[in-house]
Amino acid sequence: MTAITGVGAYAPRFRITADAFEDAWGQFQAAGVNEKAVAAADEDALTMAYEAGTRALEAAAVDPAEIDWLAFASTTPPLAEEDLTARLGAMLEVDETATRHVFAGSTRAGTRALWAGMDALASDATTGLVVAADAPQGDPDDGVDHAAGAGAAAFVLAAEGPAKIVDRSEYAVPYPGTRFRDSGANETQGLGVTQYDRTAFTETIGGAVSGLEAEPDVEAAAIQAPDGKLPYRAAGAAGVGTDEIQAAATVHDLGDLGAASVPVSLASALEDGYGSVLAVSQGSGAGADAFLIESDGDVPTNAALEGDDPLSYAEYLRQRGVVTTGPPSGGGAYVSVPSWRRSIPQRYNLEAGRCPECGALSFPPEGACSSCGALEEYESVQLSGEGSIEAVTTISQGGAPPEFAEQQARSGDYAAAIVALETDDGSEAASIAAMGTDADPDAFSVGDRIETTIRRIYTQEGVTRYGFKVRPAE
Amino acid sequence: MRDAYLVGAGQSDYGAFPEESYRSLFRTAFEAATESVPNGLEPSDIDEAFVGNLGVGGRQLGLSGPAVTEHVGLGGVPCTRVENACAASGFATRQAVQAVKSGMADVVLAGGFEIMSDMSSDATKYWLGVSGETEWERLSGTTFSGVYAQMASVHMERYGTTREQLSQVAVKNHANGAKNPHAQLGFECSLEDAQSAPVVADPLNLYHCCPTSDGAACALIVSEDVVDEYTDDPIRVAGVGAGSDNVGLFQRDSYTGIPASQRAAETAYEMAGIGPDELDFAEVHDCFAIAELLAYEDLGFCETGEAGQLIESGATELGGELPVNTSGGLKSKGHPIGATGAGQVVEAFKQLTGNAGDRQVEKPARGLTHNVGGSGGASVVHIFEREERNSSRNSSGHRPRETEAETEVSAR
Repeated sequence: MTAITGVGAYAPRFRITADAFEDAWGQFQAAGVNEKAVAAADEDALTMAYEAGTRALEAAAVDPAEIDWLAFASTTPPLAEEDLTARLGAMLEVDETATRHVFAGSTRAGTRALWAGMDALASDATTGLVVAADAPQGDPDDGVDHAAGAGAAAFVLAAEGPAKIVDRSEYAVPYPGTRFRDSGANETQGLGVTQYDRTAFTETIGGAVSGLEAEPDVEAAAIQAPDGKLPYRAAGAAGVGTDEIQAAATVHDLGDLGAASVPVSLASALEDGYGSVLAVSQGSGAGADAFLIESDGDVPTNAALEGDDPLSYAEYLRQRGVVTTGPPSGGGAYVSVPSWRRSIPQRYNLEAGRCPECGALSFPPEGACSSCGALEEYESVQLSGEGSIEAVTTISQGGAPPEFAEQQARSGDYAAAIVALETDDGSEAASIAAMGTDADPDAFSVGDRIETTIRRIYTQEGVTRYGFKVRPAE
Repeated sequence: MRDAYLVGAGQSDYGAFPEESYRSLFRTAFEAATESVPNGLEPSDIDEAFVGNLGVGGRQLGLSGPAVTEHVGLGGVPCTRVENACAASGFATRQAVQAVKSGMADVVLAGGFEIMSDMSSDATKYWLGVSGETEWERLSGTTFSGVYAQMASVHMERYGTTREQLSQVAVKNHANGAKNPHAQLGFECSLEDAQSAPVVADPLNLYHCCPTSDGAACALIVSEDVVDEYTDDPIRVAGVGAGSDNVGLFQRDSYTGIPASQRAAETAYEMAGIGPDELDFAEVHDCFAIAELLAYEDLGFCETGEAGQLIESGATELGGELPVNTSGGLKSKGHPIGATGAGQVVEAFKQLTGNAGDRQVEKPARGLTHNVGGSGGASVVHIFEREERNSSRNSSGHRPRETEAETEVSAR
């Protein structure tokens, strides 16, 4: 038996409405989507996976070191080749020896990861973490892009827990051309053969659900949602009513979440306390996964799906990098990838050092102690990720280093601060420079409380470097 | 220890000069410096050279010192390139003073140069802020405008310093620069102009930031043994001090002062046996308006936290009690990184020899130069003092040389 012991969910703060698309295009091609979440310029599937993953671990109250099985699922991993679970695991402080898997290539990827997690627990894993994060992208004049949202969900799995996965089934049959992305392309497309697409969708969903041992009789149904209409068309095939689909739907407010669609809906249903949930993903190709979850209605959940920062359509194009040209070429200041890697314990996990001579904290923990000048080996101290602003500015266009020119072109002015990051008990702090994120630069003033999160810092030589930034404390 | 003297100094114009190379600009400065020596100085007299250069653009990163000294015909004279960011040639000047005082050389060239304008604006930006702490400070999204803006944010919060006071620095320095034919931005600006410029890094706007510049400057430092060959009105290097600090602002104890400058000033005042009250003018490192205000406090022109009131009082204007940046400063005269410190010495030389034209301070006896690298990772201060022996002109405000030498000895 596999159970969910903690749930995390995340959606970016930016929202764009169907009306904004209609103003720009004269029409909106994603039926049933009222507004959708948009990833900020410094976010991607990996940073959203961190946001959801860290929340799930917190909700489950599990020590990350206990995770012995980790999966990351997305149709839009920021790299087509390179195992991102190494970085994700480090961000979440999962042990180096944990088993890791990446699931991609289909909007079923999130539930494939859940499926594999069940198998792992049935074998020798004890605590699993499944993270699905996605931000689909299409051509700007295509329905795929109109629907495309952004979000992530994560589940901590164990043998026993408040939400049991009691049954599962899968089904696949060839239906080429409904939704696909060529190698090397960033935009997902589809031929748009309306009835053919609907048939592929409902047939595979029906196939998966009919494979379950019993007819589902559930309070909520998390159904794959490429747009806001299609899941309801599959109600009959899934054996549920539209009310149950509505109960778990997130597509109307967040858009098409790709591989995170069903995971985020499931997270939402569990957060809302539903006792029985059917979760059915569908991926082009085509195939579907169906799960039956029975919950005691009290699953620990930490979901941050709210967002109220509206974007115009022009801002949407900027934020997503559709109308920007990338970083300028040049040289000057340079941080090599090996140098960056050496700082990962600080960038991801806020590892500071305590001077063995005078006890003062240093961050990063290297070189002579800034308090007493002793040149000793620091004792490692992990900072809490909370603190306050000591000095701050807003960097306007023209004031940014060129490494950040593309980000600034996409997301505009940003705050750059010196922050005092505190120890767990708040009694000590170390100062460090950090960029502001997740809020307008005006939201950062000297003395304000902040917390850290992990975001894209910049990309050079094709390698995106991730590290902590700060945002106003929740 | 022997005394060192400033016998000549000159600079190229500062600005954007697509027709000039770094070598040609250095030649202009070198010729202006040798020609400024009252009794003349031949290039063959020079024993040693120190040249400041950051290397913006990467056009001659290695051996950029010999590349310019050989170009001007110093033929084999040992040359050391000094790199201390924006304080490169302030430190080159200090090296020249050390070489003379140590007895290793009698005539030393201290110079600097930089070319910053011949690249695309994108490429130029890659070279801005390269002297900040790279791994954390820069990658939090700042160049120096951002770092100095952070200092300003705390100074404003703690001491009530205002944007208008920042703008008054720009107004003053532009008023001075308008009187300096070498100035890059040699025009006056109104307080309204300075207040309404586009924001670069809040609270700093465009008028609170110095420009990027091409330029070169040279100074000639000689020993007491040979000074009489070059001038009848020697200008003694009365004091010199320097300091270093962590490169990143976040690593330092203070965000509202530059400890390296405080240390440099303390050492220089002690060596010169004077205090800030005895200065007649100062050239300070105003890369950003807040930097000039911080300098007022770090150099002891006012108490901590009172720099805003000092600029507001007009005391640092030309004609005020202590004119600051009569050349226009980095703000108006320009800031060709490697040349800036030597360029400040040029202004000190012009003021002390009475050759500062429309911006001449009345009969100055002593002036200070203050040159900061980065946001305060390095700082150097010089105090120059006119020592009158044979001339009956300008007879005010200085003491017999013997007394000063004793002061210096006792201070060390």
